[in-house]
Amino acid sequence: MLEIKNLHAQVAEDGKEILRGINLTVKPGEVHAIMGPNGSGKSTLANILAGREDYEVTGGEIVYRGEDLTELEPEERAHKGVFLAFQYPVEIPGVSNTYFLRAALNAKRAANGESEMGSMDFMKYIREKVKQLGLKDELLTRSVNEGFSGGEKKRNEIFQMAVLEPSLCVLDETDSGLDIDALQTVAAGVNALRSPERSFVVVTHYQRLLNFIVPDYVHILMNGKIVKSGDKSLALELEEKGYGWLEETVGV
Amino acid sequence: MSKALIYESQIGSVLAAVNRDQEPSWLVELRDRGAEIHSALGVPTMRNEEWKYTSLRSVAGVNWNPGEPGPAVFGEDPTYYAETTIRVVLVNGRFDRNLSDVPATSGLTLMSLRDAIYEKPEVAEYLGKIAAIDDHTFAALNSAVFVDGVYLHLRPGAAVAPVIEIVHVTSGEGMVIAPRILIVAEENSTAKIVEQYCSDGSSTNLTIPVTEVFVAKHANLEHVRLQDESLDSYHIALWETKQAGESEYRSYNLAFGGSIGRLDQNIDLNGEHITTRLDGVVVARGEQVIDNHTKLDHALRNCNSFEIYKQIIDDKATVVFNGKIFVHQDAQKTDAKQTNQALLLSRDATINSKPQLEIFADDVKCTHGATVGQIEETFRFYMRSRGIPKATADAILVYAFAAEVLELISDDVVRERLERRLYSKLGIDLGEM
Repeated sequence: MLEIKNLHAQVAEDGKEILRGINLTVKPGEVHAIMGPNGSGKSTLANILAGREDYEVTGGEIVYRGEDLTELEPEERAHKGVFLAFQYPVEIPGVSNTYFLRAALNAKRAANGESEMGSMDFMKYIREKVKQLGLKDELLTRSVNEGFSGGEKKRNEIFQMAVLEPSLCVLDETDSGLDIDALQTVAAGVNALRSPERSFVVVTHYQRLLNFIVPDYVHILMNGKIVKSGDKSLALELEEKGYGWLEETVGV
Repeated sequence: MSKALIYESQIGSVLAAVNRDQEPSWLVELRDRGAEIHSALGVPTMRNEEWKYTSLRSVAGVNWNPGEPGPAVFGEDPTYYAETTIRVVLVNGRFDRNLSDVPATSGLTLMSLRDAIYEKPEVAEYLGKIAAIDDHTFAALNSAVFVDGVYLHLRPGAAVAPVIEIVHVTSGEGMVIAPRILIVAEENSTAKIVEQYCSDGSSTNLTIPVTEVFVAKHANLEHVRLQDESLDSYHIALWETKQAGESEYRSYNLAFGGSIGRLDQNIDLNGEHITTRLDGVVVARGEQVIDNHTKLDHALRNCNSFEIYKQIIDDKATVVFNGKIFVHQDAQKTDAKQTNQALLLSRDATINSKPQLEIFADDVKCTHGATVGQIEETFRFYMRSRGIPKATADAILVYAFAAEVLELISDDVVRERLERRLYSKLGIDLGEM
């Protein structure tokens, strides 16, 4: 699904190096958690996968389904099934969620040679998704994220993900700022979308999200490199011992 | 000859073309006063504070001719009309019976102003009494030379459901076109009006309309004005409204057209418990100059006014906003909110923004805010990451910027037509919203 090889990247504006040789292989159906302290580069990695232009890839490769992602525009990546759930979803007053998602879905369908979905079919389709995720219909008529609470915004990200049906879902600190109820709702939404064809890269600072979205692999990112990988028990060990423990053992 | 001299000799011929022989004395007096004011003020220069950012040198340099009836070729183009409306059409400032469609409607009089001057004695009580032409040289010129226009009268208690459209078309070139519109909404009446200015092809005229509106006690009017003339034309207008107590007037100025498009919109809140909206959406592209001066006069207590201006500026265009709010001494408990926002789509776009609040009462709530910005990269990336192409993402964001005002327009058909026009003006195709 995804193969990241020796990825180096810097901030486009000031040339500050953030990623210093990341290697990561994600197979279909797998959930990989990327953990790391603030400033380790984990959010940068998530944003680079989606094509954010604030960062510049200076070396290495991101191969997604046999194709080099770094050559593609953000919208092209989305059309090919990459989805980033934002840490800070953007509010767009005056544009309803329904309109926004129909524009997004139809752009994806057009890029993949499928016919546009008409408004009646689309309404039926998203109402089903709303029901599946246990959300309220009013979400559809509200403007994108306008006046949403932190929890509502993150739920809306998962809802968008459900509608667009991506193959590679990247979650950037989806747990940040959520209370336990919102965290559980969001995690249940993600779990409902897990399938043998869909992979997840879950970026998080804290282990608690991983109690609800159980990963197949956990990677610790520090100072722009993956310094340790393991299974879900690594996250628990990290929770217990703190990032300081790793700094000592791996010497970064 | 200097530009000023050319202008004066030419405008003399425009003035001389008016046939006043049969006109009532009150109108002749108004015409004399208008001609006198225009001759004294001439064409303002940028030294005039009210014209600081808008140069009229190009207007002064044209050999202007009197307006003449134009061919009405455009007629069938449905983009000009909504289907469910009562409609009058003026071609080069003259009421066109063939293009107009005014079904008998209870409580509504809608007719040629020229006819109304002779047939409706009450016209004398309003015409020239609402618009303050002393400081407005082109409104003064309009008073001196207008040939025709529209008289719209709502009887007390009249409730007109279909939208009333007043469509002005200009065609030809080098003419001074001076339509005059008088709208009188008597007590407790209600209606929705769309006043629209457009060109038949690439006309290069100077349009100088004056619109006078009287909103009596308890009356409720929604008034949309769309200025969408050709990009080679000049449009310099005065729109003035007087509101009586307990009335509501919601006005929306959409300014898209003209090489130079200038509107002075004044609203006198002359009573208590008045509600007023004065909103605008401006789109300027190419080298257009669009200049809106608004003035709200709060005379008495307990009135609310809301003003939102959204301005989208691309290429090398220039936009001017000057928003005056006067809260006079007797206007305690006034609640006045003014917001003006500019979205710059290019490095060469210019906005000159000047909120101007003068408050002489001490127990009032008045706020104003002005912002200038660009499309934020974060917003754009968010949409692109969902698969929406960059150009569409920008279009949606520009739409969203204007939507705060457009959404207030209550008639669905009119609003959707204006939205479609907004997109085509911006050169975008968003499909069905």
